[in-house]
Amino acid sequence: MSATTEAQPESLVSESAESEVVIETRNLGKIYRDFWGRKKVTALKALDIEVRKGEIFGLLGPNGSGKSTTIKLIQGLLFPTSGRAFVFEKDARDVTKNERIGYLPEESYLYKFLNAEETLDFYSRLFDIPASERKERADKLIRMVGLQSARRRQLREYSKGMTRRIGLAQALINEPDLLILDEPTTGMDPIGSREMKDLIIRLRDEGKTILLCSHQLADVQDVCDRVAILHQGELRELGRVENLLKVRDVTEVHAKGLSDDTKSKIADLIRNDGGEVVSIDNPTTSMEELFLDIVQDDKPGSRPSAS
Amino acid sequence: MRIEENQFWGFFEWLIFQYGLLQGIVVAFAVGLLGFIICYLVSMARNGPGEAFYNVTRVVYELLARDLPGTSGRRVYALAKLSFQEAIRRKVLVVMAVFVVVLLFAGWFLDPGANNIAQLYISCVMTGTSYLLILLGLFLSCFSIPNDIKNKTIQTISTKPVRPTEMILGRILGFGGVGTVLLLGMGLLSYQFVTRGIQHSHEVEEFAADGLSGTTSYDAQHEHTFELIEDENEPGVYRGTTNEVKGHVHQVTGRMVDGTMEYEIGPPEGLLAARIPIYGSLQFTDRQGNLTEGGLSVGYESEYQSYIEGASLMSAIWTFDGVRQSRFPFEDKLPIELSLKAFRTFKGDIVTGVQGEIYLQHPTDERIQSERIPFIVKEFAVDYREIDVDLNGTKDGQPQKLNIYDDLTEDGQLKVVVRCRDPGQYFGMAAADLYLKAGESTFGWNMFKGFLGLWMQMMLVICVGVMFSTFLSGPVAMVATAACLVLGFFGGMAFDIASGEIPGGGPIESLIRIPMQTGAMVDLDLGNPVLEKTIRIVDSGIMYTLFSVFQAIPSFEQFNTAEFVAYGYNINGPLVARHLVMAFAYFMLTFTIAYFFLKTREIAAS
Repeated sequence: MSATTEAQPESLVSESAESEVVIETRNLGKIYRDFWGRKKVTALKALDIEVRKGEIFGLLGPNGSGKSTTIKLIQGLLFPTSGRAFVFEKDARDVTKNERIGYLPEESYLYKFLNAEETLDFYSRLFDIPASERKERADKLIRMVGLQSARRRQLREYSKGMTRRIGLAQALINEPDLLILDEPTTGMDPIGSREMKDLIIRLRDEGKTILLCSHQLADVQDVCDRVAILHQGELRELGRVENLLKVRDVTEVHAKGLSDDTKSKIADLIRNDGGEVVSIDNPTTSMEELFLDIVQDDKPGSRPSAS
Repeated sequence: MRIEENQFWGFFEWLIFQYGLLQGIVVAFAVGLLGFIICYLVSMARNGPGEAFYNVTRVVYELLARDLPGTSGRRVYALAKLSFQEAIRRKVLVVMAVFVVVLLFAGWFLDPGANNIAQLYISCVMTGTSYLLILLGLFLSCFSIPNDIKNKTIQTISTKPVRPTEMILGRILGFGGVGTVLLLGMGLLSYQFVTRGIQHSHEVEEFAADGLSGTTSYDAQHEHTFELIEDENEPGVYRGTTNEVKGHVHQVTGRMVDGTMEYEIGPPEGLLAARIPIYGSLQFTDRQGNLTEGGLSVGYESEYQSYIEGASLMSAIWTFDGVRQSRFPFEDKLPIELSLKAFRTFKGDIVTGVQGEIYLQHPTDERIQSERIPFIVKEFAVDYREIDVDLNGTKDGQPQKLNIYDDLTEDGQLKVVVRCRDPGQYFGMAAADLYLKAGESTFGWNMFKGFLGLWMQMMLVICVGVMFSTFLSGPVAMVATAACLVLGFFGGMAFDIASGEIPGGGPIESLIRIPMQTGAMVDLDLGNPVLEKTIRIVDSGIMYTLFSVFQAIPSFEQFNTAEFVAYGYNINGPLVARHLVMAFAYFMLTFTIAYFFLKTREIAAS
């Protein structure tokens, strides 16, 4: 089904304006430069978003749309060319903000010569977690991600799915208030993928905030409360998932207790068409269709050049 | 062995009076200022002058107010442990295996007949250790951070509350830890190798009819002669010491059993020495007997030593401080060691050698002096002498008995004068060539201090390597560190060129001289004074820049005190303390530079 949406980019003030702002970007922009300082590519243009406490916020976009750049800017791994990013009201370059953040990178960039236990011990030390708690947390997380039988194996021997699992465990080692997940289900089998999505929802229900960046549109549709769709470094859509997916120029009717006369009129109408009326309402489209609708005018991966 | 005067300065003498502290402060200030200006210019080109100033000052502020105070020991330990594990799992222990193999086969190539076998063995193991550790430090330190950036593992660390200070310290301490473990292993093996390698035994080959003198067997390419006298406390037991051959002696004991003498020859003694010298300052008198700072130069024979002429008023005068009886092992003897060089203008009596005399003199009153003690110069060896504390001399023009500590010293100061007796011959000496021997330290402890020097050398290489790796790729960082090493080890020549000590002008002038085939000692003459002046000014600029760069590069070689161990000199405490302070200063310098680069680097930039 091809459907047009009436949803417009929402204002910065979201529906849950009363809750605490966890991530805020103000006019955030990034231009990559070459060695000589000349502009190479504009990766992000004046991004204004707010992620509030207790929500799952999805960042969507084709390759090269600026998703990863946004995540890196928010974490201080890149420095903005314009604007600023704040996490927990601290500047993105302030390392103390990381005490409350858990990050699962796109590919789990972990030390392959360590085993699961050593990995979690290492990252928990980086959070200054005392020895008494380190082992307890590591055991709990290894059980949670289902790696009990591989806890002493070096990560170089892990499959991609197992690497994602240990990556997730390291992201949760500090019991973070904000979890940043870059393509969390990549490389996972359907069961693992389902478990990951359930876990994300469970963490949200525990009050954690989740910023999720994914190509798996179904995942985003399943778990996100709000999404921002980026394209060519610009924010194209921002809002609640159900609002964005609503098709406003089509009516979907769910009716009960209509008069016989009305029923017969509708029934006649439907019957003439050989069908059966169940409801009358605005139907929703899928996230995939919405996404393709936004980006169909450009080739994926293209970015505006500096010139 | 060549010991420079600065190597026996006291710690505070170096720090305060020889401007060690001042130099450190000036270098720190200059590097800080230069770094600030460069960072400001780079930032200004990208962000404009106002923001550039804010950016640079913010980094300085964050270092002092946040990152240094906020550095956590637990995180540093975690990162150090990671670096350690990384190195171990990259099989750095192979270095140890290489060392063991070197030791296993070293015996084949070391000449057991060498004059100073201990020196040969010690030099071999310590040089091998030094090279292996430097290479290890070079490879470990230069590739770690670039690899982390390339593999993006640094992104997982940087998104934790880890500060740049912790990343740098973790790397330095982790790799330093690996090197230290290896060094300890190599040190223990080296000690075993040296102490066992020099062992040899002799048996009595020939003896006189009374059995009280004889010759030992010819082992390890030498033999000894000995004489025995009866022990006063143990009748029937005869004791003696062999003559010194190849730097060592053996104790010989003879016991009369059933009318025949049974001999027992002990292990070699004196090979593994750690002499504790008390050095003095050296002055000379000229042919008229007036005091001068330097003696004669005999050309390129040696630049290290100054020479005095025989049968003239020329003399070399050492002034020692702190000469107190409590510092010396004997009550009635003052031990002195000298290793003078003889320079002959004619062959002379080649069998006897060049003659000289030595006497002690009151530091302020020249009329109080001991009798002259004649000696034959012992070339290429250390001549050990014991001077009687009570000795004949003259005081106020009257010959009388003098006591060194009562009559010849004042406030612990004593002068020792050396003269050459043979006309036409010369003695060469440097300040370290005559010293009072305060005793012996333990060889093992001295070797430990020698290895401590190698450890400092390795740590410096790691610091420099980590510093370069914060802003260069692995191979480029390695080349840069290797360049520093080459300049640090063999920078003497480069330093002399940059400082203009070597004649021939700067790089441009030298380039012109080559095709013109102009001698270096002749002023450049191009027939155009303006052009010549311009060349000199440009050359001065280049040379001054080079000089400044060379000054900032750590002189790796100075930390290597293996020669002291090999030649049997105790590495004095102030020298070790000075090296530790200098190594710490270089650590601070490289750490600060590395911090600035890592702090201002976009970790995730491709």
